[in-house]
Order: sequence, then structure tokens, then C-alpha cells
Amino acid sequence: MKRKKYILLSCMLFLCFSAFITIKTPLFRKPPNWPEPAYDFSKNPLSERKIQLGRILFYDPILSRNNTISCSSCHLQYTAFTHVDHALSHGIEDRIGTRNSPALVNLAWHKSFMWDGSINHLDMQALAPMSNPSEMDESIDKIVHKLQGTTLYPKLFYEAFDDSIITGEYVLKSIAQFMLTIVSANSKYDSVMRNQATFTLQENNGYILFKKHCAVCHTEPLFTNLQFENNGLEVDSTLKDYGRMLITNRSEDSITFKVPTLRNIEFSYPYMHDGRFKKLNDVLKHYTTGIHASKTLSKYLKDPIVLSSNDKVDLVTFLLTLTDKHFLFDPQYSYPRSVFYPDSKK
Amino acid sequence: MRYKILLSLFFSVVQIFLGLSQLQKHVLIFRPTFGNSEIHLNDAYYRIGTNDSIQLETVKLYVSNIEFLYKDSVVWKEKKSFHLLDVSDANSLTISLDIPVAIKYSYVAFNIGIDSTTNVSGALGGDLDPTKGMYWTWQSGYINVKIEGKSNICQTRNNEFQFHLGGYQNQDNALNKLFLRISGKNRISYIQIDVEKWLKSVDLSKQNHIMSPGQDAVLLSGKLIEMFTVTK
Repeated sequence: MKRKKYILLSCMLFLCFSAFITIKTPLFRKPPNWPEPAYDFSKNPLSERKIQLGRILFYDPILSRNNTISCSSCHLQYTAFTHVDHALSHGIEDRIGTRNSPALVNLAWHKSFMWDGSINHLDMQALAPMSNPSEMDESIDKIVHKLQGTTLYPKLFYEAFDDSIITGEYVLKSIAQFMLTIVSANSKYDSVMRNQATFTLQENNGYILFKKHCAVCHTEPLFTNLQFENNGLEVDSTLKDYGRMLITNRSEDSITFKVPTLRNIEFSYPYMHDGRFKKLNDVLKHYTTGIHASKTLSKYLKDPIVLSSNDKVDLVTFLLTLTDKHFLFDPQYSYPRSVFYPDSKK
Repeated sequence: MRYKILLSLFFSVVQIFLGLSQLQKHVLIFRPTFGNSEIHLNDAYYRIGTNDSIQLETVKLYVSNIEFLYKDSVVWKEKKSFHLLDVSDANSLTISLDIPVAIKYSYVAFNIGIDSTTNVSGALGGDLDPTKGMYWTWQSGYINVKIEGKSNICQTRNNEFQFHLGGYQNQDNALNKLFLRISGKNRISYIQIDVEKWLKSVDLSKQNHIMSPGQDAVLLSGKLIEMFTVTK
């Protein structure tokens, strides 16, 4: 009898312990009521060391040709992992690209990347800015060579991959792991959806207007339907950017761009693929009175969107509830100072 | 009597089992040539017509999904079968395969390039590592074949020509499968890759670079098969 008790007790202890382990290490957590992520984690299983390695690489300018530009140069945490103030993002030697850098957030749910969907897998995304001549202007084989020659990285790669010979695969997989952990799901909007907070009257009216006019493309909870749409912007005559058509060569993709998320939109200005609008009011003005009709115009924009000036104020008030302060200042995404400056005090 | 039959049956089963588990090497040796001459990159000059001279700088191509066939059915497949053949690296031109002794085969089949599933599988290692220079960075996808060089008939900067052939999506799929008759007895097959045969299908004076997927890449990729022949 006593023995049975012991067995029962130890079983319970074991269960508690294993539960504790699984609770303690959620390296990636799907927010409640969100769809399943698109990323296949089985091919690149998350580990704390790989995520940290990815974070260090993300902040290290060694990825650029002259060691001046890191991923974070154009994707700053405090501004929703995008480049603010610049319509077109600038990279190495202040060279200016042709587009506004996209906000890096909730990427585990995306099946394609970049404004034109040119990248088919999160692992491969980092290759594009690395080798783009106006971004980092460096090739992956030279990056691997540079990393191998440091005192820091062979050790970190060994700890993460059991291999101190660095490869392109390891570099890309660890950066992807860090990007996968960049999840924003703690805005006021999210609290309201979890019944932990309530919208003000104005926010609620904005939410109703949002669902009526915007949600078909900026679909909850990601606030993007992940599709490509022509949202009625006239082609900039200096950039001549025809969006997805440049990748697919299909005329029906002309002037279509990937629908961006609206999460943290308060901080991700300027707006649109070429950053042509500085303020949310400019964006609403565009959707109500500025639509440029062309053959590929989104079917959702064929009927005019009518908003009174009060409606516009309410809609903006709702959009501000998508700001996730916890995300913007979460230390797990921040610059790994202790790695780059081990002697400095916190 | 019955006992003897059972015994012989037992031995034949054991033999089959041993034959399946016992491995023997079959080596594929690829010999890149221009016509019948060996290729010397950045060095020798070759000629197709009467007024041209061609110098080759890069010849790299993927051979993948190697299969052996016997009487139209696949009898053996290499696992994780991706090989980058690079003319500048002699070691890459030999592929050594471990095949069960008991298997009979008369054809080898492989893809020239990388299949669409692998193209959308994220970061991969070995010969598929993007550091090998066979991956497009601005648009996801493997470059199946790279052939680069110079010719006096190219009206381009430094007379250069550059063919990066690839593409895996729908109508832009540039993958080609090749079947070659080989002898299962020799355990070693020499496969010639005659780059001249492919270059003959390109009019270098009009077409001297392909850098992205599309119909041109599909068309020229279809001609790659002609380069391959089994020699003795």
C-alpha cells in the first residue's frame, strides 16, 4: 500500500516537472485564436542558442561589405522593426533603394516575403538585403568567411549547431529563428479581443468602420490577408516600380504589392511601398479621394470608400490600438550589448 | 527431400537478403568537354563556326535525384541526391553511389537542376548551401546551370556571355530529366558533358545573357540534355 503511494507520488512529481519544462521554454508561442503559422518548424527546430545567435547576427554590421550596415539599420525595434522618417530606405554608403523597408513582425505566418513576394521562404529572406548593392552589398560566402575569422562566431555556431565550421545554411537558419520569435500580439486591440480591456466609444466606432472598409485586405489577427493588391497608387514616374509584375512577368500582377500589416502602424511611418505618405491622415485621404484607377486595381477598391471627417478620426483612433508597447520595448529583441561589449556595465 | 528443399529455400532467402544489404560502388564520372577537347577554364579558346572564338569561365550545374532503372521501373534511388558539378573542381565531377549488389539496372536517370519542392524548402546545406553561388538572392530559387565566358561575337562589355538557367514555378519550370543507358556490369560510367552541343543552340550574337527565370530559360534548359552522352 505504501509502495503504491510512492509510485503515485513520483508519477505526479514527474508530471509536474515535465509540465514545468514545457511551460518554461516556449520559444515560440502561437497567440490564442491565431491561425497556425506557415513556417515549418520541424525543418529548423527552435533552440535558445540559435535564436540568440540569430539576434546577434541581426545586430552585427559584419553582414555588410564594409561592416557598417546591420539588419537593424533598417529594421529598428522601437519603430516596429522598420525604417522610419525615410520614404525610401538607405543602406551602405547612404545608397538609396527603391522601396520603404517592411516591418518585420509576425513573419512565421507569412508564405512570401518582400513587397513583391520575391522571396519564398523566411530562411532565404536575409539573402536579399545582404547582397543588394544598395543595402549591405555583400555575398553570403564572404559573410561566412568573415564570421569564421572572428573569435566570437565559431564558438557561437558550435554551441548552436554542434559545428564550428560556419555555413550559409546555419547563418540563414539562425537569423530566421530570431525573426520567427518577433511576434506582436499584445496591443490594446489584442487585450480587447481577449476580454481583458474594452474599446472607448470612439475606438469601437473606428473598429466597426475598419471591419467595413479595410479588413478584407488588412485581415485580423495579422492585419494582412498576405495577398498582393493594387491599392490605387499612381506609379511614381522616377521609380517606375510595377511591384509583383517585375517578379512574375504577368500583366495581372502589374502595380500589385503585398498587403502590409497594420500592427504598430503608429510607429511604422512613412506608409506605402515607396513611403509616399507621412501621416495616417494622408493614407485615409488616399483611400477616400485619391484612388487612381487602373486595369489591375483591387476589386475591393472599385467602389469608393466614403468616410466623414469624424469617421476618419475614429478610424485613426482604432488604428492606434494596434500599438504594442510591450513588443516595441521587449528586451528579448533588443541590441545584445553584453555580447558586443562584454566589459561594459548594463 | 522436403528438408533439402526447405534448406535450399532458406539459403536463397539469405542470399537475396545479403545481396540487398551488401553494397557495391557504382561511380559516375562526368567529363566536361568542348567538342572532343577537354575544358580548360579561362585559358583555352574554342571555336564553333569559322569567325568565332569562345573562352569558358564558369561551367557549374546541378545533378539531382539520381535513380537507376531496369525495364522501365526504378530499382534504386539515391537519398538526398543533390550534386553540384563544377568544372573548376575536379572532385565534384565524380559521384560515388552505394548500390545493393543484387540490384540489376540498365539506365541511370537524373535531373539537371533542382526540383520545385527543394526550391521552396528554405535554407539547405551541402551542395545546396547558398554559399555555392547557385542561388538567386533577389528572387528565391536555385540556379540549375551556370555557363559563363567570353566570345568575340558577343557585342557586350568585355564580350561576356552569362547564362544562369533556373526557375521552378509553373510555366517557368526549367527542370529537365535525363535517361542514359549504362552497363550495370562495369560499375563505372563515364558521362561526357559536351558544352559545345549546348552552345550551338544559342545565337551568341543575339542572345548573350539570361539571369532570371522565364521562357528563354525554359527553352535553353531543354537543350541541356543534348550535352550528355555515356562514353567508354
